[in-house]
Amino acid sequence: MALPIKYNIRNIIVRKGSTLATAFTIGLTVAVFLMVMALARGIDMTLSSSGEPLNMIVLREGSTAELNSSVTRENFNDLMFLDGVEREADKPLASGELVTLIYKARKGMSQGSNVTVRGVGPMSFKLRSGFQTVAGRLFQPGLTEAVVSKRIAERFQGLDIGDKFRIQTTDYTVVGLFDSAGKAFESEIWVDINSLASTTKRDGYSSVLMRVKDPNTLASLSKRITDDPKLHLKAVSERTFYEDQQGTASGALKYLAGFITFIMSVGAGFAGMNTMYAAVARRTKEIGTLRVLGFGRLSILIAFLLESIAIAVIGAVIGIVLALPLNFVSTGTSNWVTFSEIAFNFKVTPDLMALALLFGAIIGFIGSLLPSIRASRFKIVDALRA
Amino acid sequence: MKYAKLIFKNILRNKRRTLLTISSLVVSLFLIISLATILTEFDRGTEEASPLRLVSRHAVSLGFVIPMAHLQKMKTVPGVKEAMPFSWFGGIWKDERNFFANFAVDARKMRDVIPEIKMSDADWQAFINDRQGAIVGAKLVKLYGFTPGQRITLKSPIYNQSVEFIIRGVYTGSDEKTLYFQYDYLNELLPAWAKDNVSTFSIVTNSAEDVPRVGQAIDSIFANSDAPTKTESEREFALSFQTMMGGVKTFLYAIMAAITFSLLLVMGNTMAMTVRERTKEVGTLKAIGFQRGTITALFLGEALVVASIGAGIGIGAAALLFRLVDVSIVIPNLLAFVPTNQTLAMAFGLSILVGFVSVVYSAYRVSGLTIAEALRSTE
Repeated sequence: MALPIKYNIRNIIVRKGSTLATAFTIGLTVAVFLMVMALARGIDMTLSSSGEPLNMIVLREGSTAELNSSVTRENFNDLMFLDGVEREADKPLASGELVTLIYKARKGMSQGSNVTVRGVGPMSFKLRSGFQTVAGRLFQPGLTEAVVSKRIAERFQGLDIGDKFRIQTTDYTVVGLFDSAGKAFESEIWVDINSLASTTKRDGYSSVLMRVKDPNTLASLSKRITDDPKLHLKAVSERTFYEDQQGTASGALKYLAGFITFIMSVGAGFAGMNTMYAAVARRTKEIGTLRVLGFGRLSILIAFLLESIAIAVIGAVIGIVLALPLNFVSTGTSNWVTFSEIAFNFKVTPDLMALALLFGAIIGFIGSLLPSIRASRFKIVDALRA
Repeated sequence: MKYAKLIFKNILRNKRRTLLTISSLVVSLFLIISLATILTEFDRGTEEASPLRLVSRHAVSLGFVIPMAHLQKMKTVPGVKEAMPFSWFGGIWKDERNFFANFAVDARKMRDVIPEIKMSDADWQAFINDRQGAIVGAKLVKLYGFTPGQRITLKSPIYNQSVEFIIRGVYTGSDEKTLYFQYDYLNELLPAWAKDNVSTFSIVTNSAEDVPRVGQAIDSIFANSDAPTKTESEREFALSFQTMMGGVKTFLYAIMAAITFSLLLVMGNTMAMTVRERTKEVGTLKAIGFQRGTITALFLGEALVVASIGAGIGIGAAALLFRLVDVSIVIPNLLAFVPTNQTLAMAFGLSILVGFVSVVYSAYRVSGLTIAEALRSTE
């Protein structure tokens, strides 16, 4: 079937004002869609990249977050020497950690949010990849010193190197900043576990993180710990633990994305329809001519649909270009499971961009369907006489 | 006004186009109003905070508890009228998806501390008399069909404890999505490590002027204790929750700006088409003596009428829908979902502005053509 493609392309170019206005309308819709999805994706990626595949986290039975969990020292000793726990130089790769919160004001505001403080031991660094001191130095064991994630130091007051902050009645000095390739613990402050235990007068741990030998062990060991009636503990893979936390925040965002983009695309669809109806009306004579030249009704229909889809795809590309700089934006919100700050980047990923293109094309298709059908139904005589 | 008929004739000339433009306006305004309402509802907690009340919590963060024993000392501070525990339980009913707030309080003091909670005297008495009793907000009743006398079990991950309550009353008032129960009952059931502690106290003062002084006085009592407090007005407390949302507000504003801009493009494009198609007519109008100003005004009037109709329907639909259907029931963290009059006025202003900007340039340009140029137009 012959299509007057050249004719359509020339039309897009000749009517550049109208083309651009329509394309931009669709572009903005696509940009908003990407913006919300990129935010949800950022949260998802931060949390799901945070767990190491062979790590298992042990919490008190019934806890949803480390903050409201506790594991006794005796429990920790039992867990450490269980079969299946990975060892390094004959020491089990397991770390009891203590978690608390401090309230800090955001930069440029009088109010702020809770920041997670994690008491860690030497094994904690081995169990987490990506940790890297980017300024200053690491804290010294036994001292009230702290390393702060760079992103948190950027967003909150009084957390730069040399600053002091208070946990209960003890002052801690920030001696270094760290970075961890966008994982969840990049929203934290790390201090020595023993210092934090004496500061908070807590005997025991919030959670235990340990490395197991292989995926099968992870499943069997976590079942064994969770089912042990004496322990009152639950063990889950670190991945699952973080993925469960993202549920509420990014789930709500995806609903919001759906709602906003549905309504915006209806609006953009109407706009596209308007433009295409006008285009068809203005080009009635041309359509008649095309028919005389031998292009069939179906050719006309498809040609107009394609023209509109092309405009919409141009729009989607504009939208993607508008949304791309978001990749450089880092933001934060409170995690409603832990009541603490979680920092993350917007992520405009290739699959989201592909989705955006498809989405644009669909708006273009729906917007032009009725006008194109109309164009294809003109009688040659009437069209030429118009 | 003598041109009103001309304006309306012009609007009705291409009915399909007008209809599509208006529909586009309606959906965009509906969306803008919905988003703006999310923003104003975030602020509701701050606006509805009582000027007489304070909230006292652990100085470090809400993640820590303070001893119940603080209460007696708090009550001795001059200016304090009454105080009671107001402790977050975080209980989940059946499934995590059924999220609603639940607090342990002192049933006997509650009416004095939170007078905006309205319930019949009989229900108050029933609540006070039953240690296991609980009261629920009217919206929770709508959502889950709770009835007085019903037994419900809440499981709190914080305390790792399930507690069974008996519903004794349904209250109305500002926050109708909360369940309150007796602190004493909970305290008995708690494990040793959690006993005799609360997450926050709610304190009511004699007058609003007392609030800052009382806050400082309370904090200075406990400053050197194991559990120092941070006591602030209810408003400040609500505000601190809001800032926890972080960048969400900026994000919503950005989306609203994008919608407005795309609306401008839609309207602008349509009006430009309309004006261009009528170039020849403009020539005719000029030939029979119409001035440039009058012609511009005719186009402007047309755009403004279309914008007003779109705004009227969009605003009316949003106002009506959100009043008939209370969306807040299904959105956690929002207590209500009612567009404010300011939001509706803002939406109207916005669409008038869009109507004006969309046509002013093309109308001014076309009406400036000479008669000959306009008549020669091939559009």
